[in-house]
Formats: sequence, structure tokens, C-alpha cells
Amino acid sequence: MQYIIVGIGGQGILFSSKVLGKIAIDRGLSVAGSEVHGMAQRGGSVISHFKIGEYKSPLVQVGEADILVAFDQNEAVRNLQYLRKGGTLVVNVHDEKAFENASLRSYIEARGIDVRSLKGYDLLKKHMGGNFLFLNVLLLGAMSGAGIGDFSYDEVAKAVKDLSPSKFEEDNMKVLELGREATHKK
Amino acid sequence: MTEVLQTVTKKAILLGNEAIARGIVEAGCLVATAYPGTPSSEILPAVAKYADEMNSPMAVEWGVNEKVAFETAMGASFAGARSCAVMKQVGLNVAADPFMSVASYEMNGALLLVVADDPGPHSSQTEQDSRYFAMFAKIPCFDPASAAEAKEMVFDAFALSERFKIMTMLRPTVRVDHCRQDVELGELQKQPGTVRFEKDASRWVSLPAKVRINHPKLNKKIADIREAFETEFGKYNYEVPPKKEGVLGIVASGVSFSLVTDILKGMGREDVGILKIGTPQPLPVKMVASFMEKYPKVLFLEETYPVMEMQMPDRTKILGRWNGVVPSAGELLPEVIAEIVSKVLGPGAPEAPETEMLKSAIQELGITPRKPMLCPGCPHRASFFAIRQAIPNAINPSDIGCYSLGVNQKGLDTVVAMGASVTVSSGLSLVSRITDDKRPIVATIGDSTFFHMGLLGLVNAVYNKHPLVLAVLDNSITAMTGGQANPAVGTKLRKGDEGRVVDIEQACRGCGVSHVVTLNAYDVAAGKAAVKEAWEYAKEHEEPAVIIFRYPCMLLRHEQAKIRVMVDQEKCVGCKFCINFFNCPGLVFNDAANKAVIDDRFCVSCGVCRSVCPHGAIVEASGEGR
Ligand SMILES: Cc1ncc(C[n+]2csc(CCOP(=O)(O)OP(=O)(O)O)c2C)c(N)n1
Repeated sequence: MQYIIVGIGGQGILFSSKVLGKIAIDRGLSVAGSEVHGMAQRGGSVISHFKIGEYKSPLVQVGEADILVAFDQNEAVRNLQYLRKGGTLVVNVHDEKAFENASLRSYIEARGIDVRSLKGYDLLKKHMGGNFLFLNVLLLGAMSGAGIGDFSYDEVAKAVKDLSPSKFEEDNMKVLELGREATHKK
Repeated sequence: MTEVLQTVTKKAILLGNEAIARGIVEAGCLVATAYPGTPSSEILPAVAKYADEMNSPMAVEWGVNEKVAFETAMGASFAGARSCAVMKQVGLNVAADPFMSVASYEMNGALLLVVADDPGPHSSQTEQDSRYFAMFAKIPCFDPASAAEAKEMVFDAFALSERFKIMTMLRPTVRVDHCRQDVELGELQKQPGTVRFEKDASRWVSLPAKVRINHPKLNKKIADIREAFETEFGKYNYEVPPKKEGVLGIVASGVSFSLVTDILKGMGREDVGILKIGTPQPLPVKMVASFMEKYPKVLFLEETYPVMEMQMPDRTKILGRWNGVVPSAGELLPEVIAEIVSKVLGPGAPEAPETEMLKSAIQELGITPRKPMLCPGCPHRASFFAIRQAIPNAINPSDIGCYSLGVNQKGLDTVVAMGASVTVSSGLSLVSRITDDKRPIVATIGDSTFFHMGLLGLVNAVYNKHPLVLAVLDNSITAMTGGQANPAVGTKLRKGDEGRVVDIEQACRGCGVSHVVTLNAYDVAAGKAAVKEAWEYAKEHEEPAVIIFRYPCMLLRHEQAKIRVMVDQEKCVGCKFCINFFNCPGLVFNDAANKAVIDDRFCVSCGVCRSVCPHGAIVEASGEGR
């Protein structure tokens, strides 16, 4: 299974690959991934590669990712080429209109991409007092809740719990559930 | 089954840098030093963490710059301690002087230099290949292909250093430093030998006469190491033979080996053989030559310079950088390698027809990669705004750190290397002395950079009487590289280890600067006034003046007052002044309405932007409204 996780520096995308890694190692699987640290972390476009299984290299090749998790819809579009045919996009949407673009629609159709979107900012404004640092957990909830990837919701919940500082544990569980409920097919 | 696997081998998922750190601690290293720099920064804090967990007696310290860090480790190795210095590639430029000199010493304890390269580059001023530095100094270099291999190589690099009494280098690239992989954990080992400095001037005092003896010895050592790499290091240097008759051979080192292995597997090619090299300097030339004999053509994949390629006496069969098959700049990403390999093997694969659709979508939606920006609430943004508005016609040399992003606010004019803000200012002040260009000079530098190299430039400016203003942007942390301590912070890495704060203001006064002012960076009005005043002082007294803009970095997540702001849409005239000179992710321009608006996805309610709008349109929000 090959994942690409994209977003904007400061959104906390590294936590997502940590969670996936924790589950994989608990199952005794091999993992390899690649992260962005340094300059780009300051508000720039960031990308994490994450592979589970017998791979040597930490990078996903263009056209080979099974799942693209996007914290930002522009970053999703910019990195859509990473998805293989029939891959799945889990995306935090702030401007739904963009997805009406004809070229984008035909690309998504031609590649048979399954798009699962959620309005993360609205949800977090409504339920978490606008603390957008919960986006990572929200997206993990959305992904596992929709049965995307090879991890169950319960496994993700356990890993998030194990990796959360205790003061965030309760909130993280709440947000995970929000994510699970929110994913709908577009 | 899973449980058993875990207790027997004790695996963990580590960042490449954590794997290297784990190796350093497990190997019984006694002194580890570093100066932070992406992609190497996570190594030293992880060393301290593992040393605490494993009860190692080792000392772990940040040096104020790479030369200092390197020489500290070097001094400890003279006493017989297994020692290690860590830095990024450009750090070695700073440490190059002692590095070159000590290469020919008959060492006592092991000295390992871990230097991380950044092909791409992702976070650096250069794409230099540190393996060339190893070649320049005539020392051996290990080039890991994965996190696990990097960890293993640490042990061998220490052992090789002791065996040949020579400094060794481990050169990971960013993809090894920042990969996350499962790695096996081991126990703490005791370092061999006794640790005590023995006086011996014939060994530790380098004079030309000594060099004339040591240099031939160094040549012999490196020849012997090349021989050892030919025969003894099969775990790092090995062939992966093709299943079918080979049509192409590939010699690959570092992460390029891992990438090309996965790519060939994906392509289903069974007619390509690979020679993996983990010790590219000195290259086991005989091993490579005999591999090359088996194939009609041989591709060399390595980052970033042709270090292996150049060591081969006969390059006629080589497809590499000398004949332009492999690009001479940029990272060898999977896409790049896949394209090279398919071109070399025959007509390349056609692009998927849909690719054009995606390209048009990206263009039509106007999506561009997001450039790095200072964080919302960053004090540097306020400082740059004040500096620029105080004296709009000033020349603003700057330096390396998060604040280099002040370029987005037109707040700086030059960035070269750490410390060059002050010295470039000195050069410009000399120009103003001999021409009629009398523009004010107001430079910016961060707290870590100030101690790294800025201090010396300041002494030079005091000595030579250069009128200039140096603004120290003191966010009390080394932010760009992830938040390490420095002398302005005073904390240290190991539990229970205490440091001492070196006060920037006192340091400046001690250097002879008479006008030093410290202020709150969020106070834009005070900042503006201070810049004007400092320049007047500098000009009148022909000497440098210093302003310390102090406010903690947002990464420190301290509590601060929340001042919710809004853009009064009536008052906003759409002039974009705030976008051009304040440039905050939380303050964006709505093209359709031709007005600035707060983007509450990013705004942290620091309130600073209230002092920015010349039309008074950015105001505190009342109630729920924006
Ligand atoms: C010689 C050298 N060593 C290390 C680095 C990596 N590096 C980039 S910025 C920086 C430090 C910045 O800290 P500071 O000056 O305090 O500014 P801040 O990022 O906190 O604004 C470092 C160490 C470098 N670019 N060059």
C-alpha cells in the first residue's frame, strides 16, 4: 500500500504518517516513508510519502499511490498525478466550486479516482472552536471510517490514542469520530 | 507472531536521523557535538534522548557553529574518546579548516563526521556533494542507502577510524535523513581503549615539517582503505545480478540504489544488473571495473556530483554525468531515474494522455506551489515591517534563518551565508565612503546566526568604524531548523545538564558597540522609531549600532493575548499595501471584491496587522464578525 499525504507546512501532516507507521509496526509490517523538514515546513507545500510492504525506497513514484490524503484541496490537485488509476483521494475541501472544473472532472473520471471529500474547516469551526490543528486526526477518521486503506477505524483509533499527549486524547477521539461521520462520496 | 518478532529483534520505526543517532549512542560514542542545519538537525537531540534512555555517560552539546562543534569533537578524540560531529553540508564549509588539517593526523580515539547533503536542494544554499570534501581531505566516506544501513555504517565508521587512525565521514542525503523506516535496535556498547590525553607534540602539533611526514602516510592509509573496501565490506558493496542476460549494468550509491531497485521491479525488468556501492570514497575501483566488464553499457546513479564516475580511469562505457545522460543538478527523484532508465533501455514510455487534463486543470484553477512564508504571528514579520517603513530607501542585507523569508515583504536585499548580513553591510558602507551613494544600511540577523558568525563581523565593523545598523531578530530559538537552543537560550540537551545564557546586548557592548537598544518586536511604532534613531547615531558616530527586536517564536507556543481582527471592507481601498509589505498567511486578497480579508484558517489573532494599514482598515473585531 502506498500513501501520499500533502498539505501546507504547519498543518501537522507528519502526525498522520506517524499513526500509520505505528499501526504497521504493531502488525509486524515493514514501512518506508519520507517527510519534509526545514524551510518548506514554514507554510509552504509539503508532502509525505509512506509505503507499507516490501519496498526499498522511501519515495512513491508518480502514478503509483493507492491513496492521496490532502489537507488542502489545492495541494490535492497539484499532486493528483501521484494517484494510480482507481486510487482514492481523501481531501479537505474549502471551496467546492473548484471540483466543478471540467478538466479536473475529466481527469478524475479518466483515471477512475474515488474522491472522498469533507469540509474540515467548517467541521472544526463548529465542533472544535476552530482549532485547525485537529485536521490531521479528522482526516485519519475520514479515511479509516470510510474503509479506505488497509486499516480499520479501531486500529487507527488505538494508534491515535497511543500517540496523543494525554491532554489531547479526549479531543482527538472526538475529532476522529467527526471524521468518520463526515466522509461522503462525491 | 507479531509479538515474538518484536521482542526478539526490537524494531522501531525511526526517522533516518534517529537511526543514525541510535547508532552513535549504541556504539559507545563519548562526545557528540553539532550545529543544527536541515537535513541533519534531528540527529543530535535524538542522540541526547537515547543517551538519557540508555544511561550513556556521553556528553552531547550544540556548538555555536560547525567549526566550534567539529573542533570540540576533535579535541575529545585526541584524548582517545570515540567522538562525533554532526552538521549539514554547508556547515562543513565553515568547519573546513580544521577538517582539512586533522585529516592527516595519526588519530587516537575515533573521529566521525556526519555530514548531511541536500540534493534538490530542499533547504539549503548549495547542492554540494560532501563526498568530494572527503576526497579533497583524503578520508573515507560511507554513503547509506537507507535508515537501517546508515545506523549500521556508524559502527563501521567508528571502527575504521580506530583501525586506520583516520577521521571518517558518514554522508547521508536528505532522503535518508528524513525517511521513516523500521530499524532494529541494539544495546549500549562500551567504547574500546582508555580515555586520557597524552602529551605528544610530535602528534598533536601540526607544523609544515610534520605535514611532510604525514601526507605520504595519509596516501598510504587511503590506498589501504580502498583495498579494504574492495574485499571486506560486502555488506555495503554488492552485486544484484539480473535474472536474464544483462543488457544494462547500473552502479548506484545512496538512496538512488533503493529507488532504482523499486523502479526496475515495477517495470518488471529482469535484464538489468546492479552494483550497489556504500563506500564511494575511496571507490573500490577493481570491483566496479569487473562489474562493468559484464555489460555492454553501464549507468552511474549517485547524488549529487560524479564522485564514483570520476574515479574510474576509463569512462568510455559509462552513461553518467560526463556525457549528460544523468542531469548535473537537482535531485534524482524516482520520476527522473525512471525516465533515464527507460531512455537508456529504449524508447521511453509515452506519457499518459490524461496528464494534459490535469495540467490544464491546475492552470485553469490558478494553482501554484505554496511558497514558504513566515508563520502567522511571527515576530520577524513585525520587525521587517518596522525596519522597512522606518527608512524605505535603506539597503537591507540579511542573513540565513526563518527571517530570510522577509524577502516576501521586500524587507531584505541580500542573503548569502551565515553571518554575511554584517559583513556585506560593511562592504556597502565602504562603498558609501568612496562614492556619493549615502543610503542608510540596516541589516537583519537571527539570534543563532548572530552567535554563529555574526559576532565576528560586528567586531570587525566596530574596529573599522563602519556606520550601519544591525537588527538582531531575537526569537530566543534557532527556528528555521526546528527550534534548537543556542547561547541566547542557554539550555542544553541532556537531562540534568545546565547551560548559561549569553546576553546579546552585553555581548554587543563588550565588542564596543555603544548604541544598543532592546525592544518588543510586536511594537511596530517603537521599532520604527528605534531604527531611525539608531541610523542617526551610527552615521554621526561612524560606528555600528544594534537594535535587538525581541519576541518569542510562534513554535514555542507560548500563551499570548488574542486580538481578533477584521478588515473593514468600507475602508479598504484594495491597495495591497498589507499584502506586499506585511505578507501574512492570515491576511489575503480577495480579487473578486478587490479587498483584503482575514483568512481565519491561518490567522492566530496576534493583532499586529492593526498597525499596518495606511487607511486604518484593519481593526479589532467586535463580537463574532470579521
Ligand atoms: C553554515 C550553515 N549552518 C547551518 C545552516 C542551517 N541554518 C539555516 S538557518 C539557521 C539558523 C537560524 O536561526 P536564527 O538565526 O536564530 O534565526 P530563526 O530561524 O530563529 O529566525 C541554520 C542553523 C546554514 N544555512 N548554514
